[in-house]
Amino acid sequence: MMVQVIVDGKNYEAEEGSLLIDLLIKEQIKVPYFCYHEALGADGNCRMCMVEIAGQKRPQIACDTLVKPDMEVSSKSEKIEKVHTDILELELINHPVDCPTCDQAGECSLQDFYMDYGLHESKVRIEEKVKHDKHVDLGANVMLDQERCVLCARCTRFTDKITHTHELGIIGRGDEAKVSTMPGRKLHNPYAMNLVDICPVGALTSKDFRFKQRVWFLETANSVCHGCAKGCNIYIDHHKIKYEDDMIYRFRPRRNDAVNGFFICDAGRLSYKLLQNNRQTMIRHKDEIISEEKSIALYQSLLKQYKNSITVVIDANLYNEEIEALVDYAQRIGAEVCAPLECYDDTEFADTMLKSAKRAANYEKVVKMGLDRTMPKTSGLIINFNHTETFYAEMQIDFSTHQRPNASFILPIAAYSEQSGSLTNEDGLVQMCEKAVHKNSPSPTLREWLQKVGL
Amino acid sequence: MSQKIKTVKRYGERFQDKLYLPAIYDGVKVTFKHLFDNVTDMNAVDTLEYPEEQPKDISERYRGLHRLTHREDGSEACVACFMCATACPSNCIFIEAEEREDGVDEKRPKSFFIDTLECVFCGYCVEACPCDAIRMDTGIFSLTGNSREDFVMGKEQLLSHKGAFGEENSRART
Repeated sequence: MMVQVIVDGKNYEAEEGSLLIDLLIKEQIKVPYFCYHEALGADGNCRMCMVEIAGQKRPQIACDTLVKPDMEVSSKSEKIEKVHTDILELELINHPVDCPTCDQAGECSLQDFYMDYGLHESKVRIEEKVKHDKHVDLGANVMLDQERCVLCARCTRFTDKITHTHELGIIGRGDEAKVSTMPGRKLHNPYAMNLVDICPVGALTSKDFRFKQRVWFLETANSVCHGCAKGCNIYIDHHKIKYEDDMIYRFRPRRNDAVNGFFICDAGRLSYKLLQNNRQTMIRHKDEIISEEKSIALYQSLLKQYKNSITVVIDANLYNEEIEALVDYAQRIGAEVCAPLECYDDTEFADTMLKSAKRAANYEKVVKMGLDRTMPKTSGLIINFNHTETFYAEMQIDFSTHQRPNASFILPIAAYSEQSGSLTNEDGLVQMCEKAVHKNSPSPTLREWLQKVGL
Repeated sequence: MSQKIKTVKRYGERFQDKLYLPAIYDGVKVTFKHLFDNVTDMNAVDTLEYPEEQPKDISERYRGLHRLTHREDGSEACVACFMCATACPSNCIFIEAEEREDGVDEKRPKSFFIDTLECVFCGYCVEACPCDAIRMDTGIFSLTGNSREDFVMGKEQLLSHKGAFGEENSRART
């Protein structure tokens, strides 16, 4: 039942019995917190989210307070500010203040809250702080720094509630409490790198992104992971260093409750490497780099030569718009169309969380359009649009984002991060991907190539 | 709103101002005074016979060529936090970070370049550094080279520059 709640003198509506902090987050009322996470639920151990509630003697934590009718909450008063400052000072007692070497700097809750509520001089000198291990390799690309930890237990709750693998726990008491795995054991689950995003401070950092770039330099674009047909929403974090080319540094999950929630799998997260390594940049014909004009002339003469036995092969990772344009193009040149899908079925990859057995981003679109899903049958000319399989034909033209060592005539195209488009995920949801990377010398997109070769 | 009006006194209206001769006399008097001083005492001349004669009045605050400071153990003080590169208005600091394995610290610069041709010597990098690892107290004010590449200073070169005012190591804690 919806009830009225008053926060800082304003009226809001909330579900009775829901968490007060959810209302504050939803209405963008500033409240600091470490341990609460919408996917992990309330734990109430960090005590940062204190608010005053009318009729209660002491401040209460918003993350473990249930909404009641006509509740009167105040989130900003002098008393509450003092409480935030004092609790933050306690959190920072043993913090090593090594922000210069910490990868979290720039997206760290401790830094943000210190600027908002702290700004106090530490009463504990650096030499007096409790020393822990700063360099623990937890496995699965996750590094642990026990000194930076605020013991919010988000990580242990993630392995308990989300992955159900229970690798992490908090051992010891008081100053000696620290996050750890069982002796001799490592993190072993395919979602472990989400811990890096979940950790509100720099205790858990990614071994893959470690020291690669400072986060405030990164630019972010919204996109969709191409690892499988699930279509998990991601942020592409990229940066162009002066005099160098635009580069992707990491993928991060983007919240979408209809698809992936808060998380993505590690395979998808690391797929940016496959995306930007071994890219095809030159137009090559039989070990010879040729100009664009020459390649277009060659392309057209090949079309004429094999007039009646052409097959257009479409990769199921291309955008909706590209697939539609290619089907249209194939009709105009009188070619067969096929989009082999069998090679994308991978039941070993699939699980019950986010990973799908269909390992092509636009698998569903190919199915929906009713394209021929078998391997090409022609013996004449195959025009391959970025499919990675090997085909057998007299002649093959490859439009490819990545290098193909055995290709005789290969034309480079822009990868999905270098153009915008939409994808249909396995549940039929159409999602947009933004253009993220701006290369110094961009390859033409597929649609640009189709215009060049004469539509 | 009432406007405040300040009446500015105008000069040059008087007869002796319009004549110009008294003003010319004042100017020439200064010139001749210096001429007299310089001819009678050559050491009081305010100019420097550079480069035979080098300036002696470079102070500690003078922003000369950059250097990277050392720790007590002789290793570089820089932890590659990119604060200097962030503060730099001409984006002329290029750093690549790596893991530091010797246990002194976690992070160190794998490469550290300053393109001194792009540098405007504003000193923001020195201000920004949390580790007192970059300084401009070398007293080096003149840079020469045969190619553009000569002016791009690498980590080794920046570490080899000596502080001109006695302070060699980083004063930061770590």
